[in-house]
Amino acid sequence: MSLRYELARFALLSSVVVLNAGVASSASAQDTSAWQGVWIADGLTPDISGFPPPGSRWYKLLDPQAPWNEEGRKRFDAMMRSGSDRKANGWGFPMMMDAGAPFEILVTPHKTLIINVYRDVRHVYTDARAHPPDEERWPTTWGDSVGRWDGDTLVVDTVSVRNPPLYFFSAPPLSEQAHYVERLRKNGPDRIDSVMTIEDPVTLAKPWVLKLTYVRAEGTDRLLNDDYANDRSEVDGGVFTITPPKR
Amino acid sequence: MIKRKPLVRACGLLLVPFAALAHHSPSMFDGSKQLTLSGTVREFQWSNPHSYIQLVVKAADGTETEWSLEMGANAYLYNLGWRPSTVKPGDKLTVKVDPLRNGSPGGLLVEAVTADGKALGRRP
Repeated sequence: MSLRYELARFALLSSVVVLNAGVASSASAQDTSAWQGVWIADGLTPDISGFPPPGSRWYKLLDPQAPWNEEGRKRFDAMMRSGSDRKANGWGFPMMMDAGAPFEILVTPHKTLIINVYRDVRHVYTDARAHPPDEERWPTTWGDSVGRWDGDTLVVDTVSVRNPPLYFFSAPPLSEQAHYVERLRKNGPDRIDSVMTIEDPVTLAKPWVLKLTYVRAEGTDRLLNDDYANDRSEVDGGVFTITPPKR
Repeated sequence: MIKRKPLVRACGLLLVPFAALAHHSPSMFDGSKQLTLSGTVREFQWSNPHSYIQLVVKAADGTETEWSLEMGANAYLYNLGWRPSTVKPGDKLTVKVDPLRNGSPGGLLVEAVTADGKALGRRP
């Protein structure tokens, strides 16, 4: 086991201690209604095509200038070249936090849920628990999250995230050793600012710090989930096409 | 009626935010060969992961072709003001489409205008 890995592990354990120490500020002290409503990453609202309009910003989590190390650069370039023949059932973490998919944040005294329109769900436990021990935890698409309230800021600590491009073809190729810390703060009635810090001894040369902003999703006051009953996408010669309508 | 237009989207494929659809890559569509089609709606499929307009387009020689026009998911369209009844069979539409690369009559719908010139809900 490398020294860098050991250092990352120490940092992770230290953060859990800090999380436990900070639990005194709980969700019950927050104006939880302020977090209600439907949110979306600023600048990524899709047009009728399903894509943001031309000229929209690029995805911060797909930043080629992120502090990738040699392995991370190799994985990033491979990710960018692939995906034309793959489908996804949602965004997974962390992409769901930098996506054109509206989501809700449900704050309760002991837990916060983050749910998006693709039914990606994050369970953020804010009841002072730590991450489960290694032998009781394994990588998943959304990872394992615990949180705490630091005044009016929700601090979310996430580990054990499965290699993101395995679920969603267009996602940062971080390893399953990556450690994510988000600091989400309401900044006025219609804005949430988040700072996401990612450390990964496998793919990053140093911590990757991203600033994300969420705004109200215009045009709706509810999350609209639906199934994929009318999936008409099919691979034809390595690229997708549209199948005829079912009649 | 079909009109071919030069590249409208300034971005190359690598710069297109291809992660926008959490379902498949847009590499199946050719944004450099955007078409303008005028026709009659046969069906509007209000669905997930994509909605579709089936548009019947009549050529100059009278032959008809049914195009499958892919749109965003119904939840995305709802936020833009669309409803299941926004488009009905028999409606006349003029649309801009990024066509399928494989040549099949289908594509990505990027703009839809009604017979009376009204652009159907999209971001300014």
